[in-house]
Amino acid sequence: MENKACCWGEALLQWAFSFRFNQTTCIVKYNRINIIGLGNILYGDEGFGVAALNSLKESSAFPESVHCIDGGTQGVYLLDFIESADAVIVFDALIPLDYDRQVYVYRNDELPDFIHRKMSSHQMGFSEMLGIAKLHGKMPEEIVMIGAPPKDLELNVGLSHELALLLPEAVERAKEIINTWLAEV
Amino acid sequence: MAKKIVVDPIPRIEGHLRIEAKLNDSNVIEDAYSSGTMWRGIEVILKGRDPRDAWAFTERICGVCTTVHALASVRCVEDALGIDIPLNARIIRNLMNATQVTQDHLVHFYHLHALDWVDVVSALKADPKQTSVIAQSISPWPKSSVGYFKDLQQRLVGFVESGQLGIFSNGYWGHAAYKLPPEVNLIAVAHYLEALDFQKEIVKIQTIFGGKNPHPNYLVGGMACAIDPNKDTAINIERLSMIKKIIDDTATFIDQVYIPDLLAIAGYYKGWLHGGGLGNYLSYGDFPETSLADFKTLLWPRGAILNKDLKTVIDVDPRDAAQVTEEVSHSWYTYSKGDGKGLHPWQGETTPKYTGPKPPFEHLDTDKKYSWLKTPRWKNHPMEVGPLARVLVAYAKGDPMIKDTVGLVLSTLQVGPEALFSTLGRTAARGIECKQTAGFMRHYYDQLVANIKTGDYRTFNSDRWDPSTWPAECKGFGYTEAPRGSLGHWIHISDRKIKEYQIVVPSTWNASPRDANGNSGAYESALKGTPMINPEQPLEILRTVHSFDPCLACASHLFDMNGNEITSVKIV
Repeated sequence: MENKACCWGEALLQWAFSFRFNQTTCIVKYNRINIIGLGNILYGDEGFGVAALNSLKESSAFPESVHCIDGGTQGVYLLDFIESADAVIVFDALIPLDYDRQVYVYRNDELPDFIHRKMSSHQMGFSEMLGIAKLHGKMPEEIVMIGAPPKDLELNVGLSHELALLLPEAVERAKEIINTWLAEV
Repeated sequence: MAKKIVVDPIPRIEGHLRIEAKLNDSNVIEDAYSSGTMWRGIEVILKGRDPRDAWAFTERICGVCTTVHALASVRCVEDALGIDIPLNARIIRNLMNATQVTQDHLVHFYHLHALDWVDVVSALKADPKQTSVIAQSISPWPKSSVGYFKDLQQRLVGFVESGQLGIFSNGYWGHAAYKLPPEVNLIAVAHYLEALDFQKEIVKIQTIFGGKNPHPNYLVGGMACAIDPNKDTAINIERLSMIKKIIDDTATFIDQVYIPDLLAIAGYYKGWLHGGGLGNYLSYGDFPETSLADFKTLLWPRGAILNKDLKTVIDVDPRDAAQVTEEVSHSWYTYSKGDGKGLHPWQGETTPKYTGPKPPFEHLDTDKKYSWLKTPRWKNHPMEVGPLARVLVAYAKGDPMIKDTVGLVLSTLQVGPEALFSTLGRTAARGIECKQTAGFMRHYYDQLVANIKTGDYRTFNSDRWDPSTWPAECKGFGYTEAPRGSLGHWIHISDRKIKEYQIVVPSTWNASPRDANGNSGAYESALKGTPMINPEQPLEILRTVHSFDPCLACASHLFDMNGNEITSVKIV
């Protein structure tokens, strides 16, 4: 895959997220991995994705090829973070096909893509971004969504007890996937 | 028989932005009601917090408007505490703001609004050769060869064939209100993709100055970025030249892609001049050349226009308790001194009281309260805010750049100034403004470089950083012209903590319900009189609502595995 990353942007991001790891020269599966946390931290469990990202950052030390991005509710403005990576993990609160309060992991083609009729740019969610990245022909080789259905979407900062309990599992699932991506080939 | 159309974006969360339109027997909209959710509890989260942290919370209100709430917030705290920011900080904020507007307008036009005018499926029938001829006749933009359009068309065919219409399954393709020939549709689709690719470059300016993006860093008293031409970790020569390149490329894209497309598309729709609405326009103004308080130096002027009278621009003072008010006669709140009495934001109250039907419901009882939006009014008038309002205020005040560009657009389309009072006028104003703000980006870049050359590297004024220097009680007002219109933050600081915080956002002006006098808000008014070709497919409603670039509360960005339709249309 061509290297689409822009050097200075990368440098800034690395600085911003201050990931430091011993530089290795081994050949890994993916040269650039983006981990994106989505959601609005002001609306309780809506912030699950951002909380999972922060928890992952605090509990791991990844090499410089792994970038953590707090995407908030930015919609299409996050397109570059999808298109510039070889592999992407997205944390988000989600509405699953069935409905148990547990951690769900969806991979690649399991994720729906569409460009919907909408009232506002604010309705541009992750599925739209996938649709556009596909149209551009710039989809990452792998993309994984990890999330859980919210319990509380009221205005407050912090997760509900139920979702807080699911956080470690979501983070653990991400770590397992990242480690396979970082394994030498 | 009279029909009622209901357009509701997110079925599982009632009332995000819901439009109910009543049609007469000829399918012309007789009346319309707009109902929505605003950010209705920011003060709950901010109350008792350190005012210096407010920007970081308000920045999270909106996912699309990114930096604008941070900017309005630091400005209102600085106003309350009497802080002057260094020249570099003012220039950098202006540059970031101009960047935000430029990028946002570009994305709005291509991603949200273009498909109201452009039929993607029709593009499949275009002749690539003819498309190339047309593209080269309207612009020197290099991506215009026969092969380029042929490749794109084949890619589109693949997508459409991948399952019904693949990712485009949800449009009103083939609707009789679409007027473009297939070749112009294909050009627009090509630029839809190019624009989304290109906007990623523009936003890098926010990363350079804000340290990160999304959610760049702001700072009460200035900006958090260090300037030093010779340091790797600061804004240095290398970063400045990167910024210059982005600015040059942006101006080229606006001039060679956005503006030619806008004119080409508008040429086919100039007979569709519906959607004008109120005829009242308000702008707080923005882009201060000196201090914010000296609003005579704003590059986007401040003022109000009533009843489309472009000869008279009325002075505006958002601090004046008699000018900017919010009432709740049709909103699900209650006021201690009566719901129909307008309160200035410094006296604002936010006591929710839902009296609407229990969701899910068929329609709202619009004689009573029917929206979560409050009803902002300027001197009791409903006002439109946003690009059209700003362009008209600048035009009426004789701004030379705006006069020239508006004149060029009108003469190219062979229409008179009255054509501006329409949905198409709003859409044209956004393009005119985007060209202007791309120019502002260069202007501020030049200012910044010139100031750095004098040896001034200051970006932060720390004089009043320490809360012990603050007065016990103070109030402040911070404003900006966000891409969608006038945004105000009002703060009351007491004992070094936030006591009250009120925000009036652009979409509350535009999407407001009726007031106590029965006057419609801007969306409601703009929809009246619009003929609908097919009420089951209310493309005309979406066109006009989209032309305002609506901002909805960002409560829900839940990822829905079911891929549920996010805007429903019902005829009841």
